Amino acid sequence: MPLIMIIYYVICVYLIALLLWNFIKEKKSVNDMLLYLLVLIPLILRVLRVK
Amino acid sequence: MQIQIGIILVVMIAAYVLAKAKKLSVEISMLAAAVAGGVAGVFVQTPPAGQLARHLIEGSFTYLDVILVFSTATIFMAIVNESGGVNYVVRVTIKYFYNLRIIALLLLMFIILIPGALTGAGSVSLLVVGAPTALALGYLGIPNRKVAAILFIVAGLSAAAPPVNIWAMITCAGTAIPYVGFELPLAIPVLILGIFTMLTLGWKRESRMDKQAVLQEMPEVPAKMSWWRVLLPFLVFFGLVIAYRIWPFDVPILGLPLQFVAAALVAWLLSPKKINILKLSSDTMRRLLPLLATMVVVGMLQQIMTITGVRGMLSYAVISTPLILLFISLAIVIPVSEGVLTYGAAAILGIPLIWFLDSIGLHATVALSGLSLLWPLGDGLPPTALIGRLSVMVSDYKGSYWSFLKSTWLPWIVITVVGILMVVFSAKLDFLVRWSM
Amino acid sequence: MPRIQLIKILLLAVVVAAMINGGMELYKHRHYQLPIVAGPGVTKVSKLSEYCEGIKGTMADTNVFFLEGREPGGKMLIMANTHSNEPAALLATLIFMENAVVEKGTLILIPMFNHSGSRNTRPGDGYPLYFEIPTDWGSKKFRMGNRDASWLDQWPDPDVYVHYPDRQLLSFIDTRNTNRTWPGRPGGPLMERVTYAAMQIIREEKVDIVIDVHGAETMFPVTNCIVAPEKSMRIATMTTLTVKAREKFDNHVEPSPSGFRGLSHREIGDFSDAMPFLLEAPIPFLDQPTGPKTVELLLDGKDPFLLSLSKKGLLFVPYDETGWPIEKRVGQHCSVIQELMRQFTRKFPEKTIAVQNVPKYADVVKNGVGYYYHNPDETDKKSVYFN
Repeated sequence: MPLIMIIYYVICVYLIALLLWNFIKEKKSVNDMLLYLLVLIPLILRVLRVK
Repeated sequence: MQIQIGIILVVMIAAYVLAKAKKLSVEISMLAAAVAGGVAGVFVQTPPAGQLARHLIEGSFTYLDVILVFSTATIFMAIVNESGGVNYVVRVTIKYFYNLRIIALLLLMFIILIPGALTGAGSVSLLVVGAPTALALGYLGIPNRKVAAILFIVAGLSAAAPPVNIWAMITCAGTAIPYVGFELPLAIPVLILGIFTMLTLGWKRESRMDKQAVLQEMPEVPAKMSWWRVLLPFLVFFGLVIAYRIWPFDVPILGLPLQFVAAALVAWLLSPKKINILKLSSDTMRRLLPLLATMVVVGMLQQIMTITGVRGMLSYAVISTPLILLFISLAIVIPVSEGVLTYGAAAILGIPLIWFLDSIGLHATVALSGLSLLWPLGDGLPPTALIGRLSVMVSDYKGSYWSFLKSTWLPWIVITVVGILMVVFSAKLDFLVRWSM
Repeated sequence: MPRIQLIKILLLAVVVAAMINGGMELYKHRHYQLPIVAGPGVTKVSKLSEYCEGIKGTMADTNVFFLEGREPGGKMLIMANTHSNEPAALLATLIFMENAVVEKGTLILIPMFNHSGSRNTRPGDGYPLYFEIPTDWGSKKFRMGNRDASWLDQWPDPDVYVHYPDRQLLSFIDTRNTNRTWPGRPGGPLMERVTYAAMQIIREEKVDIVIDVHGAETMFPVTNCIVAPEKSMRIATMTTLTVKAREKFDNHVEPSPSGFRGLSHREIGDFSDAMPFLLEAPIPFLDQPTGPKTVELLLDGKDPFLLSLSKKGLLFVPYDETGWPIEKRVGQHCSVIQELMRQFTRKFPEKTIAVQNVPKYADVVKNGVGYYYHNPDETDKKSVYFN
């Protein structure tokens, strides 16, 4: 895999970590909980090389 | 089939309205519309029951790259802001141009135009330079509501400006028209309309402060902050963008997200004060959440509208409208389609429209340039209102969204008229394309 | 446990379940192997990577089939799935592969030219993942691919694609479009390497005639036609006139624009001695104003919105209640390819390409496409290739 593509996967993993952390810390807003999960969908499936 | 699709469309609208009535957010309401449309479609096998989840998941990928651009660009600008760079730039602008109003306004216009013109995304303009220009416009005595309006219109024009216009590119890719000859048909109206917007919305100084008082009121800048610390990250970003244009066969394709990451790293290293990058990134993602979720949900909605036939029916309705009515309706149809589907609108309406207009003797490139002026207006319209919401966010306007949108009425109308006239008289304006080549 | 925590877990469970369900479908699609039967005419099977090292071990690599005649003659390269969402091209090429017997000259077939694209889906456009063609022995299942290569194989896109070597600006999407990346270069983005490898085949094997098989929307002016540059124009014109007179279907000629770069019908002609032709058959499924994007629409091409637009004179092909069935589209490709061969042979008898046992338009319309495919389970395993 080319280096630049690897860096993109690293960027995705970083964003996933941030979103997951925010999701875990979210204690009040159900709306935000769902939005975090929605944004995580394409990022996680990309990192898993599903799509 | 038409009745079946019509019922699904009604179900989608009803789900959206019901969700909004229950005070759910725009994003969740759009998700409700997508899921409801998909479930209604399952009854007639469009999509087959086992495929609904796949369609929703697949749709979520439609704008993944845009999500990465939003995230990395905003984290980059958050670092620049945290390091004091934004305040530094605004302070210098006010210091030198406070009394040269027209120059200050035009300078700020170009500052907003350049990032969007280079990347094709008005959002990038707002995320990168929106906050400092908003502050500078505020100090020039322009109220927040009008600042947000200026940012919205000029950022929209920046997205339409050459060299990169994503609506035109998507349509060109789908219609097999080369993306050439767009420079003048896009640049001339963008510049004229940009200047018009700055002057109509920004000329009047509605509050007057003494220059020294303004400078005193402005936030402090860290002592070690300097020009090169502010400029270098931006030079890295624009340098990487421009390097690929100058040496496209020697420079590897980095893509906008990585270019922003490189600039962010430089800004972080050069910051005169220590920045907790993890906390800053995490806060930024929290702030960006509604926009990122909008991009995911719009992709899902687009996919469901296609598999159920709703998208095709809407496209058909536009194409089969009588010509004069079609020209007039562009004023509504193009921005509304953008408001619902963002860039997807270019494929759904742009491709058949351009083939149709071309077949009746209009000039595809000029007509597409005209449409490109109308699409960004839709970025202020709900449900997505991407650029509108960003404009409000970076300008820190606390009033109602509608009052902000209302204040854009004059440039909005002028842009609409110019855009439609470019479509109607595209054959007569073809010299603009010839001169560009 | 507080109520909010319960809701959180519930949301997580629902989203993860949808992700697994939808994700598995997409994963299976990318890894579905299509068995291809090499017919009696296939004499050699190679890989595209043998002509460009840079695609070895990637999803861009694909099979290249050689059908060499008993006697020497001209050489023809046929490429399908340049756009993997235009399936008539692949179906027609497989008919050649499974049935053709070459008497003179050589046929080179690349059935899945943009192999990565064939394993990609199109987010936002709601395509079916597969389609099936009925045969005498059951049905043959195909992946429905995308116009562009997968991001899993070539990522990221630039903000704008600068075409090599002309520097023309093209849409960022076209970086992954193998009908915009011609003539390619060995060290460029993956799809430029793919087109470069094909250019190497054309140059090293001294190919005389290249056919890139496609499908195009009924609302697109360049549909139901042969696109040809100046040097291929005469043969293209003779071909359309002949199929019209003998086989009674319309097919016109479109000139390849010299100012639009990156297309096979332009760059192959400019960067090699070969004559390029690009074939377009109508594919209503790809039009924007259609009903749901179903397998039925893909295969029969029947759509009420297009029918209405046709009555308003907004389509560029004749269109009625019978739609544009896949048999017609595949049959057209089969006939046009054979007629191009015949016209080329008439003009250059010393480079004769003579092929037997391939059906014509009327045969495919009568018998169906699947009639010409063989059961891979009942074929010698050595003759079954997976793409």
